[in-house]
Amino acid sequence: MNTQINIESRQRTQAASSSLQVRGLSLRLDGRVVLRDVTLQLPATGITTLIGPSGAGKTSLLRCLNGLLEHWQGEVRIAGKDTRQWPGGWDALRRHVGLLGQKPCVFPLSIRANVVFGIQGFWRRRRAAARVEHYLRQAALWDEVAERLQQPAQRLSIGQQQRLCLARALAVKPRMLLLDEPTASLDPTSKHLIERSIGRLANELPVLWVTHDLEQARRLGGQVVFMCEGRIIEQGASEAFFRRPQRLESREFINWQVCDCGGPS
Amino acid sequence: MHVSALLVGLVLFLLLGFLWFGAWPFLRQDGIASLFASQWYPFEGLFGMAPALLGSLWVVLLALFLALPLALAGAVFNLELMPSRWQGFLRLGMQVLAGIPSVVYGLMGLWLLLPLLESQLELLTGRSLLAAGLLLALMILPTLMVMSEEALHGVRAEQKESAINLGLDWNQRLWRVLLPQAWPGIRSACLLALGRALGETVAVMLVVGSMDRLPQPWYNLLQPAQTLTSRIGREIGEAGMGSLHWSALMASGLLLAMLALLLASLAQLMGREKR
Repeated sequence: MNTQINIESRQRTQAASSSLQVRGLSLRLDGRVVLRDVTLQLPATGITTLIGPSGAGKTSLLRCLNGLLEHWQGEVRIAGKDTRQWPGGWDALRRHVGLLGQKPCVFPLSIRANVVFGIQGFWRRRRAAARVEHYLRQAALWDEVAERLQQPAQRLSIGQQQRLCLARALAVKPRMLLLDEPTASLDPTSKHLIERSIGRLANELPVLWVTHDLEQARRLGGQVVFMCEGRIIEQGASEAFFRRPQRLESREFINWQVCDCGGPS
Repeated sequence: MHVSALLVGLVLFLLLGFLWFGAWPFLRQDGIASLFASQWYPFEGLFGMAPALLGSLWVVLLALFLALPLALAGAVFNLELMPSRWQGFLRLGMQVLAGIPSVVYGLMGLWLLLPLLESQLELLTGRSLLAAGLLLALMILPTLMVMSEEALHGVRAEQKESAINLGLDWNQRLWRVLLPQAWPGIRSACLLALGRALGETVAVMLVVGSMDRLPQPWYNLLQPAQTLTSRIGREIGEAGMGSLHWSALMASGLLLAMLALLLASLAQLMGREKR
């Protein structure tokens, strides 16, 4: 009896400290099963790396979490609140959960205007202009653009544009970051700078980082979740996962980057 | 390609040369001063361009002012709110409307719009700048809408998704991403529509009233007035070829051509700036 109470109490404590809880999340797109009964918990801070072969459902999972895809079954709770009943709807949820995509997409405006673009309200944006430096420093871009904040953002290199997108996402003050292969098309320097920035940010908020780069997943540390064909196959601490994966599929993926996990029907 | 560009240039040169040649006797006599003169009495040798010029400007600006919001609303509605399988129908409808001959619009104006204006605004005659502006608005609406929709359609999906990811709601995305990004295309559409409205003759001639005088006061749109095209259309048959009257009408044509060229050049320049 006591053991049962202890387990329940531990589960409750875990759930309370968890920033994101996904239970039984399933998704069909055009009649095809994309996600199948995904259950996942993210700690309150730190990086969780989501790995898996192409078509595993990693991006779809992120898009379900921030409401870009709405027609899924199951339950997603962020900070204990059901995302379907999020106060203010999906738009408000997306301000709470920042998402950074694979390809940088800056607006054809100045660097400064891009940073504050997502802030709600004209006067708030004006006031936030004073904090542009802070957001650009967080994204490790300040030193490179400090002298040219009024210049068009399209003149920046791809790596700089991606960091600008990160600064723009941070200016909305999200409580969680979802990253969809944010360094996939970047040079090693930009990759390193972004990893370092996110590493620092992960001390304050939870980060779910999708990557195909296993070396990067190893470097980032934290938790690793391995997905294949719409299902979560294995999850655990990064070091343990890469040293001794428990499942055959995980071992195959780590060794040969292939996955044969039967797949959903 | 070079040959076709040369040919176009040659045709343009010949057209302007022909108009200049025809207008020269009048230009030599009255010159620029005629642009500001308000009296048009051909039999007394008075050829003031101001009423028709002002009339043309009023009519095209009014048409654009009325048509642009409707065209934008239609384009946004069709692209953003209409289910994709129905989008083609509205576009097709607009393309059909754009293809209807202008005289049909003129007849519609004559039989529907003028009586409506007379009864609703208690006017002696519905023929007025307002009637011409309303009719032109209807005529340029399809072109404006189709081109605006194309401009909105051209906004990169990544930009829309970035705005969604930042938590911007539909209204914010519309005003802060879609419309500003599509604005260069919409601006070009406006200039082309202005060009079409400026050159429209038959429909305007049927409803504008063809009264050669400045509106009193100048902003009164409920009075019959004249435009450059309606004047040419109405009087060219009566003017003896080679007479000063004929030459003054040629000068009106030259003025129209210059204005149309200016609009087309602006559209081109702004398109280049966009690229």
